Amino acid sequence: MMQIDRLADMEEKLRILEDLNMIYIRQIALSLKDSDIQKKIDYEIRMREGACKLLAACSQRDQALEASKSLLTCNARIMAYMSELQRMKEAQVMQRVARRSSDAGPMDDRSPCKAKVAISDLRIPLMWKDTEYFKNKGELHRCAVFCLLQLGGEIFDTDMVMVDRTLTDICFDNTIVFNEASPGFELRVELYSCCSEEDYSAGSTPRKLASKLSTSLGRSSGKKMRGALEPGACSPTSNGGGAAILLPVPSVPGPKYHLLAHTTLNLSHVQDSFRTHDFTITGNEECSYWLPLYGGVCCRLAAQPHCMTQQMMSGCLRVKLGGEPQGWTNVYGVLKGTNLFCYHQKEDMEANVEPVLTIGINKETRIRAAEKDPHSKAQNICITNQYGGEEVMHTLAADSREDTQHWMEAFWQQFYDMSQWRQCCDDLMKIELPSPRKPAIVTPKQGSLYHEMVIDTSDDIGTVTDILARRIEEFDLRSQLGSPPHWMSLFDEDPPRSPHSHQHLPPHSPSPRLHSRCHRTPGLLSSNASLTSDSDSPTSVRPCFRQAWSPDSNSSSGRFRPRTLSLDAKLSTLRGRGYGGFRCNCQPPTASSGSPRPTQIALSCSSSTSSSSSSEGSNSQESDLGFSRPSSARRSLRNLRAKLDPRNWLQSQV
Amino acid sequence: MLTQRIEIHKLWDGDNLILGFSIGGGIDQDPSQNPFSEDKADKGIYVTRVSKGGPAEVAGLRLGDKIMQVNGWDMTMVTHDQARKKLTKKNEDVVRLLVTRRSLEDAVRQSMMQH
Repeated sequence: MMQIDRLADMEEKLRILEDLNMIYIRQIALSLKDSDIQKKIDYEIRMREGACKLLAACSQRDQALEASKSLLTCNARIMAYMSELQRMKEAQVMQRVARRSSDAGPMDDRSPCKAKVAISDLRIPLMWKDTEYFKNKGELHRCAVFCLLQLGGEIFDTDMVMVDRTLTDICFDNTIVFNEASPGFELRVELYSCCSEEDYSAGSTPRKLASKLSTSLGRSSGKKMRGALEPGACSPTSNGGGAAILLPVPSVPGPKYHLLAHTTLNLSHVQDSFRTHDFTITGNEECSYWLPLYGGVCCRLAAQPHCMTQQMMSGCLRVKLGGEPQGWTNVYGVLKGTNLFCYHQKEDMEANVEPVLTIGINKETRIRAAEKDPHSKAQNICITNQYGGEEVMHTLAADSREDTQHWMEAFWQQFYDMSQWRQCCDDLMKIELPSPRKPAIVTPKQGSLYHEMVIDTSDDIGTVTDILARRIEEFDLRSQLGSPPHWMSLFDEDPPRSPHSHQHLPPHSPSPRLHSRCHRTPGLLSSNASLTSDSDSPTSVRPCFRQAWSPDSNSSSGRFRPRTLSLDAKLSTLRGRGYGGFRCNCQPPTASSGSPRPTQIALSCSSSTSSSSSSEGSNSQESDLGFSRPSSARRSLRNLRAKLDPRNWLQSQV
Repeated sequence: MLTQRIEIHKLWDGDNLILGFSIGGGIDQDPSQNPFSEDKADKGIYVTRVSKGGPAEVAGLRLGDKIMQVNGWDMTMVTHDQARKKLTKKNEDVVRLLVTRRSLEDAVRQSMMQH
């Protein structure tokens, strides 16, 4: 028992350290009075806590994998923000101006414009060998993988993909856009992998804890911290590696991702088409998370510098058109990308009217301020371009000396940006904006997590529905053709209108749902309410049913509420899966008063309302629903995928 | 747990021999989504639908029954597709199933105990 005590003790210490870390992080953020970063950090911390809770709570493997992925991403983000904070703190301490400014500084300290960098269509080829097959003896070795991409302070993760021997490439469909990248950007791509058949119990907890503690205790030394907070390192390695100094990964049971491969892309890799880059592989064949990577990664890395997409300068100009020395034309000039567009007037530009004149501004262009024109106060600007071997010169003039200066400055800045962004300024690269992404914490699929968390298998609702299913079978066995049980009629399509709120059955969807299978359950609900009542009077039963059943009835009493909500959830998940199992009246029974009832279920109340055949009609609807999937399910590839998808629970008609 | 032997005589429905019920479950399926199983880790084959008046119903098969054997073949450790195949062999027009069914008393007693 000493061992357990020590474990618990270490866990406690770890938790305290984590709290201290969080406080420390927040303190730094506060001291810098940078609410922006602090908000981001707080957000990520909350997300992280959420991910931890989710990991601890969920039991389905794919949910655990998603939660673990979110956790890793949150950690990486927190680390990135920490690095940034640290840098800012350092800068503040050294009394230097914060380096985040992208405004044009004084002329001799020019900084290039920022760009939008997008990486998309990631594809990682795999190289399965024959030996793989024999090693696994036909068992499919599956791994869950995803990519973590970091540029500057922004970290994004791709969706998770399950990989097994049937795939030749790992493909990620996501397009990830980083804003505000500088020309010297480094885009780090990391591939994380997690074996899908692992046993997730924290078998090596003591070791992990010990390593985490030792690294955590060392955090006070500045050097170590700086090393850990190196901007290049994306994320803490799993299981408390060196980088996890400030954020030891909490020892929640669950799948853990490991870094499988990484690479760093920069401006030289940017191209308006697909390219293959080298992928540095970490790990080896012995690792559980190993996948036989070919060694490369294909992707499309595009960049849109702001100088290509935004108006860098605009204003009124006069341009000399033709050879006429005095022929100045007033135009509204807009410097954008590789062109200076001259519009007749400003409104034309807004209205997308074609410009009067377009002057190319590119690497070959030469611009100089001409000698003073005797007729004007300001200098002229001469722009010379080479068009097919011929030199073409345009002369422009601004209204004032200041304006001329501004324009020249803008041109110089444009040239500087182009020299910095090189191939990105040849032509505008297209970047497709990604559609709104899923939130980091996985939303329950098909309500299954909801199903897990709201309805426990030990919850009586499950057995309620089961019981009632069998109940009907019992009826069928014992009776001939006849009317369905009397209580079924309570849930007819058009219930008798009653002003009493207790008896109000919601007229919309619950009703048809009830017919197929749900109507039985209220019987037992009311049995919960009146456990041993075997009342025969119809009127006393009715209000019970209605009250218990209507899920959104405000009048339902407090003690019913939790049950009905979960019942609703259970039934909607059942129905949602197209689950056509509960045919209630294969053989609609006769007056149920005849059948002996073994228990105190209030169903036995023999209200004398007569049945209708409406339940039958909707049942056949339900049955169609239930059947439509199985009959087509056998023959298509879709079926194969569905079978491999653990989220579906297949049914087949035989 | 009571077991029962059920002999289903298949019926011609056009070109197909049908039994008149649907199955769910299998070792390749997610057992927690099975509404009929008592143990939510049970990956067995369950009857999820019985066609009214069909051969299965006539033979006594009931909704929620768990199929243990089909013509001597074990059904407790098979994939969904294997189970389906065992039931739909074209050269067999009779299938003898061994099924188990939770008795009503057990079920109700259990639900009462949980209150």
